[in-house]
Amino acid sequence: MIQRSQLDLRKFVVPEFICGHGALQLAGRYARNFGMKQVLLVTDPGVRAAGWAGAVGESLVEAGVSFTVFDSISVNPRSRQVMAGMETYLAEECNGIVAVGGGSPMDCAKGIGIASSNMRDIRTFEGVDRVPVPAPPLICIPTTAGSSADVSQFAIITDEERKRKIGIVSKAVVPDISLLDPEPLTTMSRDLTVDSGIDTLSHAVETYVSNASSPMTDVHALEAIRLITSTLPAVLEEPDNLNLRFSTLLASLHAGLAFSNASVGAAHAMAHSLGGAYDLVHGRCNALLLEHVMAANYEAEPERYNRIGAIIGRGGATPAEKVAAFRRALGVTETLAAVGVREDAIPALAEAAYNDPCMVTNPRNFTCEDIERIYMYAF
Amino acid sequence: MHSESPEDRDALREKIIGLGETSLHKSYYPELQSRLAELERFRALLDQTYDAIFLIRADTGKLADINASARQYLGYSREELLAKPFIDLISPQQKAWLVEFVQKSGDQLSKPGQTFTAPLVSRSGTEIPMEITVRSVTFGAEQYVVAVARDITDRIRTERELRIKESALESSTNGILIADLTGAVMYANRSCAAMFGYERADAIAGRNLEAFFADPTVGEKVTVHLLANPAIVQETVGLRSNGSPFHIQISGSVVQNDAGQPLCIMLIVMDITDRILNEQMKRETYAQLGKNIEQFAILGDHIRNPLQVIVGYAEMIDDPFAKRILEQARRIDDLVAELDRGWVESANVRQFLRRHGEGVEPSEEVFFHFSNRKQEDI
Repeated sequence: MIQRSQLDLRKFVVPEFICGHGALQLAGRYARNFGMKQVLLVTDPGVRAAGWAGAVGESLVEAGVSFTVFDSISVNPRSRQVMAGMETYLAEECNGIVAVGGGSPMDCAKGIGIASSNMRDIRTFEGVDRVPVPAPPLICIPTTAGSSADVSQFAIITDEERKRKIGIVSKAVVPDISLLDPEPLTTMSRDLTVDSGIDTLSHAVETYVSNASSPMTDVHALEAIRLITSTLPAVLEEPDNLNLRFSTLLASLHAGLAFSNASVGAAHAMAHSLGGAYDLVHGRCNALLLEHVMAANYEAEPERYNRIGAIIGRGGATPAEKVAAFRRALGVTETLAAVGVREDAIPALAEAAYNDPCMVTNPRNFTCEDIERIYMYAF
Repeated sequence: MHSESPEDRDALREKIIGLGETSLHKSYYPELQSRLAELERFRALLDQTYDAIFLIRADTGKLADINASARQYLGYSREELLAKPFIDLISPQQKAWLVEFVQKSGDQLSKPGQTFTAPLVSRSGTEIPMEITVRSVTFGAEQYVVAVARDITDRIRTERELRIKESALESSTNGILIADLTGAVMYANRSCAAMFGYERADAIAGRNLEAFFADPTVGEKVTVHLLANPAIVQETVGLRSNGSPFHIQISGSVVQNDAGQPLCIMLIVMDITDRILNEQMKRETYAQLGKNIEQFAILGDHIRNPLQVIVGYAEMIDDPFAKRILEQARRIDDLVAELDRGWVESANVRQFLRRHGEGVEPSEEVFFHFSNRKQEDI
């Protein structure tokens, strides 16, 4: 376990962001200000069907910026999708990217950016600080409140051949600006709202107990926990309430600012492994793992976990039990076995999680056997 | 991957926190600097070319950019040139033509290879003949025309010299044949065509040299000889297109490139039929003259012998007419002596003619002689 001190060196990188109702309509102005002439508008079919890609496109047209839509993106974006996007970017002679959507389009957009600026396969960037040439200007308009990809230094891409997620961690993938508008969140389904909300909570909890946390990240992590636990149940009741949606968006922003600088921990490492192997929704993986990781980590950071528990409030005796109660209250009741995970796959999942970069900032140094046990608790 | 050391994980953690050596905030500046350096290198490359390059704004016709050669050719500073419309650099006589050319070219300008020649006028007023290739290009939303101008002063001079040389060859009264090293004729001038009975010079091109000699092996022999020797002068028998032979003298040499490698052979052909016939006539005349001289000598003896008899008889008789007979005999003897002196003088003339080559054997200057024909055969 790493002993922490407030005198430890820490860095805090914050991208430019604009939040509030109507922020989406500024996409064209900022694209023009970044010198974009031909934009690759990266989105997914769902977001396009909901009309948000079209709204951003109108903003670009009004600003006199041409664009090409690339929406061949699935949940857990694939390396081939990134490379197809890169080909479109180059073929259309684009000079900037606007991403509209959740974590998948935004991570894919980051991948397209660095692959095209470096002219390399996206899988070669796996790891930390392995992007020599920064991506072209990237504007993000999140339509979910959870991934925080619009402000983070992470891009998670699924390597289809190896059936695992690769983590690309670099300041070079931090977007240039995020336009945080609550309105696109109103078209999220209940499940997506829950999964992305628990993703926010997982980011905030894991950052707060991260061995790389700092006073700056603590502020944002705790505010994120407060906002998401207090508003997520309410927003499920009133999905069209822009104030509630904005609170979840702010929660995601706070969590993003925190985890982009202090990183996350074992729950995310294990969720990446799980999502890569079974193509499961990232937020749902975190929902099924977080409480078990919290329990396993508790002894390393009891005070911090207790503070998290205090913010969540009711639901159990321990912070982990409170998180478990929170997710059950949101309707997330399944186990890993229920979502199709095979017990004999757990050692391989544990090994992949052990090698995930997120694991190095976990408050406890887990062995593979420790990780296997945590998977089994969630099984 | 279980073997990953704690040190490695600590280093990874440092980078995730943002404290790694290259954990820098996203910045386009290093890339910008790299691209600018790339552009500088490219500009240096453009500046090294001898061609003058102009980037012209399509809407105003003004220069947007130029390379170093453009400045050097025209003698203006970069700032002065960028304030000028490109048309102002064109010779006044060609301006109207250029405007018409650009209007006519229209969409063709977007394709490569639209080229025209026009003089550019330097600051000092000197007109520099240029071959200018233009192409329409789009950078961003801006339309431009790229004009690449090449100084063709040397080329024009070379072309003029070449035309003079061609005219000289063409107007030569001697026939001139140029053939490749296999003997195939590449060029024949008008005189050559006329000499060999062809209506047009280009009717000869492509034929082999063997077609031009009564002995078909002469062409090949001349070629082989010239590949081993610098020159050849030879008299031989040419063959006209209608098959009739005539006397020619050929002077041949090898044309070489700068590296001394043979490129082709050149033959200068002279019709020497008149000269050959004259020589033959002189030879015959001379032979007749010799015969006549010898006959004179014999005739003198033939006259003197009976005259001696007459004188003998006249001296033996005592007659008043004997004296007169002897007088007439002496006169005849004087006449014969006169004829003898004439014979000696004729022999001297013949000796003189022999010594000075009139009407005698062909020139001693012939370097090479293939023909086994005797003069009297022709």
